[in-house]
Amino acid sequence: MNQEPTILIVDDDEGHAILVRENLEAAGLNNRIEHFRDGQAVLDFFFGKAGTPAFRAEQVYLVLLDIRMPKVDGIEVLRRLKADPELRKLPVIMLTTTDDAREVERCHQLGCSVYIQKPVDYDRFAEAIRRLGLFVTLLLVPPVKGS
Amino acid sequence: MSDPSFADLTRDELIARLHAMENEARRRAEAEAQSSKTLLAALQELKDVKAALDHHSIVAITDAHGKITHVNDKFCAISKYSRDELLGRDHRIINSGYHSKQFFRDFWGTITSGRVWRGEIRNRAKDGSLYWVDTTIFPRLGADGRPTQYVAIRTDITERKADEAELQQFAADLAEKNKELETIVYTVSHDLRSPLVNVQGFGKQLTRACERIRDAAAAAGPGGSIPVAEVKTAVETTIPQALRFINAGVNKMEMLLAGLLRYSRLGRIELSIQPLDIDALVADVLAAMKFQLDEAGAVVEVGPLPDCMADRPQTNQVFANLVDNAIKYRSPGKPLRLRITGSVQDGQSIYAVQDNGIGIAPAHQAKAFEIFHRLNPDATHGEGLGLTIAQRVLERQKGRIWVESREGEGSTFYFALPSVEQTHHS
Repeated sequence: MNQEPTILIVDDDEGHAILVRENLEAAGLNNRIEHFRDGQAVLDFFFGKAGTPAFRAEQVYLVLLDIRMPKVDGIEVLRRLKADPELRKLPVIMLTTTDDAREVERCHQLGCSVYIQKPVDYDRFAEAIRRLGLFVTLLLVPPVKGS
Repeated sequence: MSDPSFADLTRDELIARLHAMENEARRRAEAEAQSSKTLLAALQELKDVKAALDHHSIVAITDAHGKITHVNDKFCAISKYSRDELLGRDHRIINSGYHSKQFFRDFWGTITSGRVWRGEIRNRAKDGSLYWVDTTIFPRLGADGRPTQYVAIRTDITERKADEAELQQFAADLAEKNKELETIVYTVSHDLRSPLVNVQGFGKQLTRACERIRDAAAAAGPGGSIPVAEVKTAVETTIPQALRFINAGVNKMEMLLAGLLRYSRLGRIELSIQPLDIDALVADVLAAMKFQLDEAGAVVEVGPLPDCMADRPQTNQVFANLVDNAIKYRSPGKPLRLRITGSVQDGQSIYAVQDNGIGIAPAHQAKAFEIFHRLNPDATHGEGLGLTIAQRVLERQKGRIWVESREGEGSTFYFALPSVEQTHHS
């Protein structure tokens, strides 16, 4: 049975997180959405601050990852997730303001699923997130720990 | 005198014959004198050319086996060996170990087959110092066409080599600087885009909220009354939130631009490098920050600090930024303990600014010096420039900065500047 993934928005900019969430909801998504303020927060969620992770193994997750953040950046989060034998199954969508070719290359090398630029123009921003929302509804995502 | 006809000659004939012989002898003597004069002149010329060569070049001659049979004064001077130490030895005595075995195989292959070898060699003098020579080896060939001697003429190019190395270093530094600038442009363009997304996005929300209110007003009931439900969310939630993010975005952009300008101006400030009394300088910095330090309940301990060669206002800035960071990133639970110490190592004055604050996890340490990067943007104020500026300021003065830190225990920021002694010796 298909399980709705919980969407983890990892973005240091609270405004961006609100805009992304509102546009996902406007696209008809009613997934659970959680917000993390920086890379360290989401690493703590997956790897645990003192070795006990906070995520639920049977739950499915989808990560929307910004790159430039305080403490630990998105590239490092991506690297850590993809280096883990279980967590590497998680779909990671880079959602960031830069479209630097080297950055796109690096993220794909590290194994991100999709790379999307946040357009500055709001109509295009809303459209990008709406399409992302439609895309997400089509995804089949495995739980972190297979049954 | 064996001429048998001699006895038959008349007296006159005899006299004529004697005259002829006399003339012949004189002519020969004159020719001989002339040729030995020519020879002497040639010899003198050769001597002069050799003297000129000895004035200009480092000269050595070896036998066919490479044993040194002649060295000039310049050879002795640059190799710092005496003539006695060199004669009879081969050139391995000054081998620096820099060149490969193949290099010397090619070298010997060329000259033993009678061809001239030309190249640059790094040698080691008796005192261990290294020198570079541009070298020409000329084989002198015997009647059988095989070398009997090798004449080596060399020119000291140590300085040129050093200049080349320095030039390469400059080129590498420049490339490094360019990369750094690219990173900064990249970072800044991202950091400026971020607030723009908010200004645009929440601006749009503001527009929509206004439209909803306008629509509600247009549909106003009798007496101009508008149902509260229609405008409540817009007025109480949407509009204030949008304004908050738009204002924050604009302020952020303003701050980023001001910071960028400040950073770019650093490169243009004229430096006045001079011996600095750091004990006094740090006392000034701490006095200027006394209010904030007292407010943080700080216990400050300052060791004796070595002097250094640096620019006063810029060095003041570095200490101020580090002390400011220590105050900013102190542990909430305990009073700040600040220790400033220093030492001299390898011609550098190294200063340590140590705190007992929240520290930086190993994973975060590399980003600490990145422009506009902030460890804890929620808890502290700042533009993310303190360490970036400290780093830039130090690099301009041939200094550097680094950090050692343990999360939860505190950080020690180290920085190095040329010491006064080092600068006087060099």
